[in-house]
Amino acid sequence: MKRLLFLIMPGILLLSCVKSLDDYNIDQKKPTTAPAATLFTGAIKNMADVLASSNVNTNVFRLYVQQWTTTEYLDEPRYNLTARTIPQALWQALYRDVLMDLKEAKRLIEADPLLDADEKSNQLAQIEIVEVYAWSVLVNSFGNIPYSEALNVDNALPKYDDAAAVYADLVVRLDAALSNLKPASDGFGEADLLYNYGSVTTEVAGWVKFGNSLKLKLGMILADSDVNTASRMVQEAAPNVFTSNADNTRFPYLSAIPNNNPISNSLNPSLTGRQDFVGAEAFINKLNDVNDPRRPFFFTTVNGTYIGGKYGFANTYVNFSTASPKVVAQDFESLLLDYSEVEFLLAEAVERGFTVAGTAAEHYNNGVTASILYWGGTAANANAYLAQPAVEYSNPASGSSWREKIGTQKWIALYNRGYDAWTEWRRLDFPQLSPPSAAEGAPAGLVIPTRLIYPVNEQTLNTVNNQAAADAMGGDAVSSKLFWDIN
Amino acid sequence: MKHYYLKKMILFLILCAFKTINAQERSISGTVRDQKDGLPLPGVSVTVRGTNIGTQTGANGGFTIRTTEPNPVLHFSYIGYTGQQISVGNRTVLSVALVPDATQLGEVVVTALGVNRQKNELPYAAQQVGGAEVTRTRGGNFVNALSGKVAGLNIKQTNSLGGSTNVIIRGYKSINGNNQALFVIDGVPVSNANTNTTVSPTGVRGQQEGGAGYDYGNAAADINPDDIESINVLKGAAATALYGSRAANGAIIVTTKKGHRNSLNVTVNSGVTFGNIDKTTFAEYQNEYGAGYSQNTVDGTGNVVPVPGFWYRDVLGGGQRELVSQFTADASYGPKFDPSLLVYQWDALDPTSPTYLTKTPWVAAINGPESFYRTSVTSNQNVTISGGGETTTFKAGYTRNDQTGVLPNSKITKDLFNFSGSYEMVKNLTASASANFSKINGLGRYGTGYDGKNPNQQFRQWWQTNVDIEQQKDAYFRNEQNITWNWQDLTGTKPIYSDNPYWTRYKNFQNDTRNRYFGNAALNWKVNDWFDIVGRVGIDGSDEIQEERIAVGSTDVAEYARFNRSFSETNFDLLLNFNKNINEDISFRGLLGANLRRSNLNSIRATTNGGLVVPELYSLSNTISPIEPPVEQYQRVGVDGHFANATFGYKEILFLDGSIRRDQSTTLPKGNDVFWYPSIAGSLLFSNLVKETAPWLSLGKIRLNYAEVGNDAPPLSVLDVYEKPTGFGSVPIFSIPNTKSNSNLKPERTKSLEAGIETAFFSSKFGFDFTWYKTNTVDQITDVTVSSASGYTRRFLNAGEVQNKGIELTAFVNPVGTSNSAFSWNMNINFARNRSEVISLYEGAGGNIQLTSFQGGVSINAAIGQPYGVIRGTGYNYHENGQPIVNAQGYYTASSSNTIIGDPNPEWTGGVANTFRYKDLSLNFLIDVSKGGDVFSLDQWYGQGTGLYPNTVGLNDLGNPKRNSIANGGGIIQPGVKADGTPNDIRVPVENGNTTAYGYPMNPPRQAYVYDASYVKLRELALNYSFPDDLVSKIRAFKGIDVSLIGRNLWIIHKNLPYSDPEEALSSGNFMGYQSGAYPAVRTIGFNVRFRL
Repeated sequence: MKRLLFLIMPGILLLSCVKSLDDYNIDQKKPTTAPAATLFTGAIKNMADVLASSNVNTNVFRLYVQQWTTTEYLDEPRYNLTARTIPQALWQALYRDVLMDLKEAKRLIEADPLLDADEKSNQLAQIEIVEVYAWSVLVNSFGNIPYSEALNVDNALPKYDDAAAVYADLVVRLDAALSNLKPASDGFGEADLLYNYGSVTTEVAGWVKFGNSLKLKLGMILADSDVNTASRMVQEAAPNVFTSNADNTRFPYLSAIPNNNPISNSLNPSLTGRQDFVGAEAFINKLNDVNDPRRPFFFTTVNGTYIGGKYGFANTYVNFSTASPKVVAQDFESLLLDYSEVEFLLAEAVERGFTVAGTAAEHYNNGVTASILYWGGTAANANAYLAQPAVEYSNPASGSSWREKIGTQKWIALYNRGYDAWTEWRRLDFPQLSPPSAAEGAPAGLVIPTRLIYPVNEQTLNTVNNQAAADAMGGDAVSSKLFWDIN
Repeated sequence: MKHYYLKKMILFLILCAFKTINAQERSISGTVRDQKDGLPLPGVSVTVRGTNIGTQTGANGGFTIRTTEPNPVLHFSYIGYTGQQISVGNRTVLSVALVPDATQLGEVVVTALGVNRQKNELPYAAQQVGGAEVTRTRGGNFVNALSGKVAGLNIKQTNSLGGSTNVIIRGYKSINGNNQALFVIDGVPVSNANTNTTVSPTGVRGQQEGGAGYDYGNAAADINPDDIESINVLKGAAATALYGSRAANGAIIVTTKKGHRNSLNVTVNSGVTFGNIDKTTFAEYQNEYGAGYSQNTVDGTGNVVPVPGFWYRDVLGGGQRELVSQFTADASYGPKFDPSLLVYQWDALDPTSPTYLTKTPWVAAINGPESFYRTSVTSNQNVTISGGGETTTFKAGYTRNDQTGVLPNSKITKDLFNFSGSYEMVKNLTASASANFSKINGLGRYGTGYDGKNPNQQFRQWWQTNVDIEQQKDAYFRNEQNITWNWQDLTGTKPIYSDNPYWTRYKNFQNDTRNRYFGNAALNWKVNDWFDIVGRVGIDGSDEIQEERIAVGSTDVAEYARFNRSFSETNFDLLLNFNKNINEDISFRGLLGANLRRSNLNSIRATTNGGLVVPELYSLSNTISPIEPPVEQYQRVGVDGHFANATFGYKEILFLDGSIRRDQSTTLPKGNDVFWYPSIAGSLLFSNLVKETAPWLSLGKIRLNYAEVGNDAPPLSVLDVYEKPTGFGSVPIFSIPNTKSNSNLKPERTKSLEAGIETAFFSSKFGFDFTWYKTNTVDQITDVTVSSASGYTRRFLNAGEVQNKGIELTAFVNPVGTSNSAFSWNMNINFARNRSEVISLYEGAGGNIQLTSFQGGVSINAAIGQPYGVIRGTGYNYHENGQPIVNAQGYYTASSSNTIIGDPNPEWTGGVANTFRYKDLSLNFLIDVSKGGDVFSLDQWYGQGTGLYPNTVGLNDLGNPKRNSIANGGGIIQPGVKADGTPNDIRVPVENGNTTAYGYPMNPPRQAYVYDASYVKLRELALNYSFPDDLVSKIRAFKGIDVSLIGRNLWIIHKNLPYSDPEEALSSGNFMGYQSGAYPAVRTIGFNVRFRL
């Protein structure tokens, strides 16, 4: 029976190793709780990143408005949206990395019984404003999108909502958020990178202006399709919008990855050896024509001159102006909404006969001046610039219509803000841009996209709803026009 | 805890080793051969009847045994042969001929959990491979040596030095889970994990998906081939059912060599092999046109160029414009070569070059990228000492393996130690243990995928045919600087896209070390003649570090990355074996047991940020910007299993087998964590029924079985957590993860039905084994892609079913040769065909789950009604007349990118192994066949688009150079029809890299770059000479000497994939059918000498 001892040994060993396994499936390296504010911060950063990026996998809008073009690789300036999953990148960033985190932040805030009521109201409103911003980018890019049934993982097949209906709801939500902001109280505090970071400490007061400026912008986007809503929104918002560059909604960047401006990943020589982009002919020629004082802040020179590459064709990097050191700096801030843009919108409002203070020329001049000052020019630069016939608002040489005058200057002022420049170009139809021509060797039939096609994933995963949405818009084509893109 | 066991084991092993060996009295020696073909039989067990004395024959069948018995009777036994007893009498030298056992009833094979079973009783398919067969060609990785040898075992090896091997038995069953076979050594499962990365939380493509990285191989390569006695491949669920929740993928059961009592044997192997790339698997270049994307007459500056396609620039600064090659263009659509034309090329910008600021003739390179590859050398040295005393056995071995690769600055060294022993402490109570330690050091493994650290990215995709690799080599070695052919601009200070490939190899190298230990300790008590108990503890662990570098001065930002990983798994087994005949006719074998498994994975990955401050100092603290928090991983798994098995036999004719296992796993949510896995099987040995009437039927058996096994959830997929990305300065950031966990997961389940027939005829002159099977894997644990409008991109779910159906056939024939003939010939053939089909998927998957997407716009998918892993991308649009449609410009139009354009699964695989013997000389060769299967080549997609390959030049149907402009009669007409169905007659240009009809530029259907991956390979060739016994016995020190000449991958007899090896892949895993920067196959040839002392 002594032998039994030997046999019992492994048994004892077995038993001695059996301890509670309850925590085996709990991740020891990841949190199960998170402060709501941290999700808000992350969502804003993700949104700023995707809009600022110049990576051809993510954001190709600087190309579409011909501010930039590429050197060797021509898929993107020739509007290929499938060689890389560009629509997916934008879609995924906004739904998954922005809106989902915001939704979770909202859930956590609402569930927090100890939070001061006014603070809670502010935080929820701040989230709401960012959500409206993000949704508007999705609608303005794709048209019909999953909205009412989105952001619910248990609904794998969310239906798509009509773009105009989504817009209408965004308007309601934005109004509600604005009425819930309480400038006397705190909002997200240090988690608020937009209005409580660095030199900008306006906090909730800043958000009031941001929300109203966003309302102005969204209202104006509806101006061609729904003038009544547009005029109401513009008129309500106008008294409370940005009044100087100090009010700009800017996202600060830091000088170290991953908090650097994403442009620097693609262009800054200390982060990449690649030389994929140069300024495009159409844009730089225009700047040269009007002696634009922003040129040195926008671009480098070649032998003292500003020269743009041929859009959609191969260009030798060293022969053309490229993005300036200011633009490619790792800590160059990005703009989500700015004062100059607001002034241009107000100029347009006057032209459309909406009831806002001031004349169109005043707002136009303010917009141009704000942009020049923002980029580093002086007031004297701005005055001289505005005095030129090709810029002067009242001079026919600056454009045959207010659309052309404002469209052209807005195109310049929205340099480096590809998505916004693209949206304004679609809306105002100026400046007139041409796709790379077949006569010169580009593929025939290229058109500048007026919307993004749906991500391939959506076509595959949510086929029926996606197809219905596409059919409702006349097909999932880059040439389809969105509901507000009437002209 | 593991260290505690390790210590105990080592102590025990030392005790075993010091038992002395009894060596006295008379000595009997001899040779054992096969009675039929006369081949010497190595490994035959020789024992002196009535004693514990025993030995084993060596490679040439020789043995020597000492005994004190006055009238010794020697007993010879060997798997597959009838045992034989010989009364020695006065003889001191014996010649023994063993008769192959037709019914092979005596053959014992090792099955699940290390249980020995008689092969003929087995009611399921299992195929045995001898140790000699996996060491024959002396490869470093025994898994590769299984290729072509086992029906239904699909081995796919990568061409990276020390790269991973894909091991799939009977098809891919799990959509997202692990599909690799389970490896078991001496009853204890060991890891075959690979650490190659998949998509990271930040969305960066991992190594397995064609992103930057290295193929670090898989852990089965740590097993010493020289230590392997035999391998048994358990293919179906019924065979592996006792492994329960990890049994779904089949198992490879390895039995190691053991020492024998009262003997002492020393074996020394010494070999060296040399490898060179198989040039049919590497790029071939056109030699008519050089650098550039176009032959435009106006260069990018707007200057009119006297010779189209060059730049016209001022190089010397004197205001004089000269012709300059377009060194920023990583393509070869530039000017036509013309030796009389002198131009400034990349070397003219290198101040240390003899041709600095000098024009050189515009000609194709004399030394193309193939000369970048060099001869690899592998040296393999092994010593094994084995033996035993009256109550002990031991074995100690050491193997040293040094390999250099075909790329410069690459090597892997392996030190493999093993020790095993057993001790019969008291009668019928035996303790045994084995310990293995492997140290693997890698330096300069090959960079893989679409990344600058893979030189094939430039060689196969983005290259200039005028660049001479020898000049690049000289340029690098002059100063060890990154002197590229691909300067950013005329001042020649930095590369734009491609580094000098020598710089990449010598400066941007990686290194790694893996320390692996595995082993077990067991107590075996034979309680009585029908009952024994085994208690066993097995551990398997490894600690590894991987360090990767990008030097300051490379195109990519300088970086140092390190990955530390430690893994361990401990298995405790208690097995009760019963073996008792119920009556004369009915036999019974039973097994009751328990298994506790605990595993623990701990890793950390950290990378510098924004560059390195001090060049060539590779430490995390040398980062320019603060480093991001390292990625930590801590995963534990605990599974408790209880199982029972019973086999009843009736008159050695009918066998019935049933088993059941209950598993409780921690990776599943509470309440869903207990599962039962049953199996039932039967076999009928009908040859025993017709023994009298059909004596020509040496063996006839039919088998039928059904089993259910599982695959539990990946760890940490049940509960939701937050991600914690790097904060914004001091402002913290959290985020919802991309994948939604699921607290209702249950294990996925494979249901398998299998039937087979096994026969041998005319005293086993020939025979075959045929198996049919069908497996359905249901309740798939899928990490499905969901519409990102849901807020997540992936989600864990139990849904979906994959079916694999197939047949396997193995056959042997011994057409020539009898017992005493000088010449004999044996042939073994195997064939397998598997058809997989995705039967159903989660409803929200849209009928498709994308497993991964690859660069170039193709993806790997599980799609309903399709085989697992189909390739999607844009396809041709076909007219109703079956022809592809071209557009108004004459280019192919492309369908939706969801079109299925390929299936990576082979239609069938097979192998033919032949052994010819003439006296002491034997020749083995193995032909390995894989028919069908598709692969998308990113190398062709880009490489044709950049004009590297020969098909982009030459003459068109008009007899004019294709590269002429259309106006000059150039261009090609692509076969197809216009939209109206009329034949295409539109000429498309080939002159310009932006509009060429070849490759990516005009976004043609991806389908055009999907190739058939069939191959027929002469996989192994070995010529072996065993010195005759009488000669060897004169050299007193030796018992045997064998010399062999060996070759691997000598000849690709047939393939359809141009310029590449159809078998090459990025990594083992679930993503097949894609090549990017593929490495060429390596032919190795060498020799090995084996001495037995």
